[in-house]
Amino acid sequence: MECIDYQDVDIFHSGHVACAGCVEALSLRVILNIVGQDAVAVVPPSCTAVICGIYPNSALSIPAFHTSLESAAATASGVKRALLAKGKPDTTVLCLAGDGGTYDIGLQSLSSAAERNEDILYICFDNEGYMNTGGQKSSSTPEGAATGSTPLGKTTRKKNLVDIMAAHRVPYITTTSPGHILDMKAKVKKALQIKGTKIIIVLIPCLAGWGVADDAGIKAARMAVDSGIFPLYEVEDGERYTVNQLARTQSVKPYLALQKRYRHISEEQVEQLQIHTDKAWQQLLLRADQQQ
Amino acid sequence: MEPQASPLWTTRTTLDRKTGTWRDAIPDYRTLPSPCLGACPVNGHIADWIGHIRKQEYHAAWLVLMDNNPFPAIAGRICHHPCETACNRQYLDESISICALERFVGDMALAKDWSLPSSDLVKKEKVAVVGAGPAGLSAAYQLRRRGLQVTLFESQNQLGGLMRYGIPAYRLEKRVLDGEIQRILDLGVIVEHRPITTQQQLEQLQNSFDAIYLATGAARSKTLPVLDYAKPWVIDSVEFLATTNANKSHPTGQHLIVIGGGSAAMDVARTARRLGKSVTVLTLEPAGHLPAQHTEVEEALEEGIRFVSGAMLQQVNEQTDGLELTCIEVEFTAGYRKGEFTIKPKSGTAFTLKANAIVPSIGQDANYAIWGESFKAQGPILKTGSDWQTEKKGIFAGGDLASMERFVTHAVGMGKQAAAAIAHYLEGQSPTSDEKTVAAVSIDTINTYYYPQQDRIDQQKLPSRQRLQNFDEVQQPLQEVQADAEAIRCFSCGTCIYCDNCYAYCPDMAITKLEKGYAIKSDYCKGCGLCVAECPTGSIVMQKEYEEITQ
Amino acid sequence: MSYTAKRLLLTGNHAVAWAVKRVRPHVAPLYPITPQTPILEKLTDFQSKGELEGTELLTPESEHSAMAACISASLTGVRVFTATSSQGLLLMHELLHYAAGARARIVLFNVNRTPASPWGFWPDQLDSLSQRDTGWVQLYSESPQESLDTTIQAYRIAELIGVPIMISHDAFYVSHAMEPVEVPSQQQVDEFLPPFACDHFLDPKRGQSFGAPLDQQNWNRSRREMAAAMARVFAAVTDAGKKWGETSGRDYAPLECYRMDGATTVIVTMGSMCGTAREAVDALQDKGNRVGLLKVRLFRPFPVAALKEALAGVSCAIVLDRNFSCGLGGILHQELKAALYGLKPAPKIHGLLSGVGGVNVSVNKIKQWVSEYAGAVPVNESLWVE
Repeated sequence: MECIDYQDVDIFHSGHVACAGCVEALSLRVILNIVGQDAVAVVPPSCTAVICGIYPNSALSIPAFHTSLESAAATASGVKRALLAKGKPDTTVLCLAGDGGTYDIGLQSLSSAAERNEDILYICFDNEGYMNTGGQKSSSTPEGAATGSTPLGKTTRKKNLVDIMAAHRVPYITTTSPGHILDMKAKVKKALQIKGTKIIIVLIPCLAGWGVADDAGIKAARMAVDSGIFPLYEVEDGERYTVNQLARTQSVKPYLALQKRYRHISEEQVEQLQIHTDKAWQQLLLRADQQQ
Repeated sequence: MEPQASPLWTTRTTLDRKTGTWRDAIPDYRTLPSPCLGACPVNGHIADWIGHIRKQEYHAAWLVLMDNNPFPAIAGRICHHPCETACNRQYLDESISICALERFVGDMALAKDWSLPSSDLVKKEKVAVVGAGPAGLSAAYQLRRRGLQVTLFESQNQLGGLMRYGIPAYRLEKRVLDGEIQRILDLGVIVEHRPITTQQQLEQLQNSFDAIYLATGAARSKTLPVLDYAKPWVIDSVEFLATTNANKSHPTGQHLIVIGGGSAAMDVARTARRLGKSVTVLTLEPAGHLPAQHTEVEEALEEGIRFVSGAMLQQVNEQTDGLELTCIEVEFTAGYRKGEFTIKPKSGTAFTLKANAIVPSIGQDANYAIWGESFKAQGPILKTGSDWQTEKKGIFAGGDLASMERFVTHAVGMGKQAAAAIAHYLEGQSPTSDEKTVAAVSIDTINTYYYPQQDRIDQQKLPSRQRLQNFDEVQQPLQEVQADAEAIRCFSCGTCIYCDNCYAYCPDMAITKLEKGYAIKSDYCKGCGLCVAECPTGSIVMQKEYEEITQ
Repeated sequence: MSYTAKRLLLTGNHAVAWAVKRVRPHVAPLYPITPQTPILEKLTDFQSKGELEGTELLTPESEHSAMAACISASLTGVRVFTATSSQGLLLMHELLHYAAGARARIVLFNVNRTPASPWGFWPDQLDSLSQRDTGWVQLYSESPQESLDTTIQAYRIAELIGVPIMISHDAFYVSHAMEPVEVPSQQQVDEFLPPFACDHFLDPKRGQSFGAPLDQQNWNRSRREMAAAMARVFAAVTDAGKKWGETSGRDYAPLECYRMDGATTVIVTMGSMCGTAREAVDALQDKGNRVGLLKVRLFRPFPVAALKEALAGVSCAIVLDRNFSCGLGGILHQELKAALYGLKPAPKIHGLLSGVGGVNVSVNKIKQWVSEYAGAVPVNESLWVE
């Protein structure tokens, strides 16, 4: 088996208050480890905001500013510009936001930062809903999923943020998952080498919000990827699509069956989800092929 | 006015919050038995030595192998490998080629002339080992490694017993046998070539030795009542193999019928094929259920041997052009104990076979009556206790003499167990068992995500036409790259491979890497179990903490 | 020490831009809105000519994002400027709280304009006055020169105390009206403003974070500490005004008492109406009326003690409000009443909703209101006047 080759550099500390088994905490750990100490974090309200610390404690050894829900990218822009003015262009400025703060209320400021191509690394921990407030739908919630605000299951599809941001021609946008730490590490490293707006969307199976066992966060993430529901891919300069997984190795059904948020859905809906997934996957492959 | 500090900036890390109080169970690192370990007759730490191969630490792999078995090159050729039958990898794709890997290491040891550090330790106690077959040699080896003085008594000119006189060279080259036996002798085992076949001889040994291990095997062939063994066309299988293995010819006709479905019958049949005979094997057991190893049957078929299975010989008629065997199909039901069965002829299914000679090969019995009345029987074998001690204090027994488990590796394992028992006996201790009753790691606890599907790498076989021209080994060894690749397939069930998954996948940084292994930081572990879920070897378990408190 | 200032004919907005040029903030996030836009455009013009090189100009998609960037830039440890008006300030509202709570040392210039709806572009102070509880210091300017001078002083105050400061001047009457403005030299401003310094900032070397969730006690503490800071503002504004007077010859104070010696009636107001009122006072004094002007320059913190002192012995105060808090009345009127509560003898206080929506308040009208209300019995409510 391929070993993970990981050594902590102590940016993220034990004693944080993430739920037991939370793979967002795990992703934070891996990402911060690559980013290193010369960085400033911007955190809008989200699970990450709680995980990062409850005053007077901080789970991070890098400084973090807890900003408002809609302004992660703008806040990061302010930090970056200040650092530029101070003659510290190499300090990484990273946003640690949730999907609510990215797909929904934060999209406007993200769009603007991307348009200005601010030199920031924007991490979106996408747990497909407002999980910190107890689990309501966001525009990232996938079709069929039950949430506090869609008790019968969401009727519309997940917003495709990658395409939206690719349309801004950001130099780098990609997806990754805590079940693919090697992929995640490589992508963070790659992003750090690029100047401009980099966006990494990390799928975070929320144990409580999705109805997944405490020890199954990694498994759920892998099934999401393996089924093609959440493919690993990247887009450079808005046009070069690369798929970062070899193939889809399973249908969506076992992935859905793993989670309580889908337990109400019918066979027909499963089929519908499969059709949508197949189509999106084909489209993705087509885009990836087109530039070859 | 002085500038004033902004308030409410964080002043310390979260390390002072002990999230360990959240949990009700904590991960515990354990080395757990793999299914292959449980199945292995010598209790070889298979996951461990395959792990060394994976790291290309072949010598270290060999040392682990040698702990339990002085014959890795031999076992790697002829072991019936129940380990592979038990292997968890079969539930993903196919079992690991454990046997071929063992042979790879064993062959490398011979090729590189690796030797064990000779034991300077010489204890005063002396042990006599009677019979230099696999059980006797294994016991002698293990006893000598414990520093005891060992004398091997062997009636034959050469050592090895069944391995030398029973197993044909196309399965086990004599060079390999010699090499692995010599290594035992190099440890300082004394050999005396004389039989211990009478009560008096045994009593003499008792006077000179502190303990005796009897491992003379089962050399007396069982007989079929319908056969007249006085006839020249009835050939004793043991003798047939012994003479052929000694490169002597044996007069038989052109068409042989071998009766029996075990390994010995396969050896006879295949040897005969190499002597140019046409061979039919007649077995009571139905096809697919022969006691011989599957590969042996497969190779026999490849070599043009005809099988008539699920039938019994009823009568032999001598005719001018040879023999006519009247047979009948039977319903075969295996018994509760090994070697036991019942048969029921199916009426109206009689048929005949033609042959020039018959080699009954239906097993051998142990002969222990030679040492007098005081040894008791247990069915067809010599009665021993769980520590392999006979009714006579200080006399132990094993191998085919005292067991119906008749594969070579079983004998090796028994020799090892007896050596431990003898050592305990000599130290005045009661026997202890090193086998814990811990359930083997099941496939459910192996995270197979980490193992992409990969075809098993088997040894190559000589083409069957080529095989029949001589007694060259059929199974060709693995190349180093093949061995390395195959070793990578191993799940290492229950044995940590230090992959760092537990360390890296912990969301709470609650695992510390030690120089070798890991430790849980109980101050921070929330007990989520991700480390257990992501362990590719099943060597971490969640331990309920209230159990710890009550312990 | 003497400096070479230059006199330029400037609008109020361009005067602010000149102040910013002299202050040389490190980061200036700006979003255009009428009637603030000339500030933005003058700054981008300076920068395009290479006259504002040390400033990172940031043009985000909204005032909300502009304020977000201001806060974080300030917390990264640099000098920050932004400007807005009306809807823009209201869009910032959430983050005005954020900024104050974070003790960001931001200087924001607001051009007072009517909030929609209906859609108007006229001078009215409701936009900034409705932000009076956000924890920002609020200063009001009556002229381009004052806007320039106050902007420079604001940095000294903000950075000393650790508070965000909002300066407002009226749309068009000040923002777009031209008058000769004395622009201080760079050296003069550099010597007036110490280099930006703060004890805590987003520093990878120290790793301290700000804004993390906290408990009730600590949130409570944050407000007590903000209150303590606010309590020091009056002195800091006084000091900055005095120091600026020393270097520029133009003194400033939190309150300006104009011809109030012996005045029995005092007009109290803020912003551009002060200039008009000043003329009315002169005219009335010329005719022997004992009328003075109390200009409220510092509205937050509300200078209660100074107001009491200034109005002690005055028999009548007429408050002119260019704002209307629906359901309450003129904001300055109501706040002043509250401030003077318990003062004995207290002046009678009339509150006139005089310039709401930017309607013209002329000298004559002020004179007329003085004659009308100086002897009248006051009512609690603010009165609509024409």
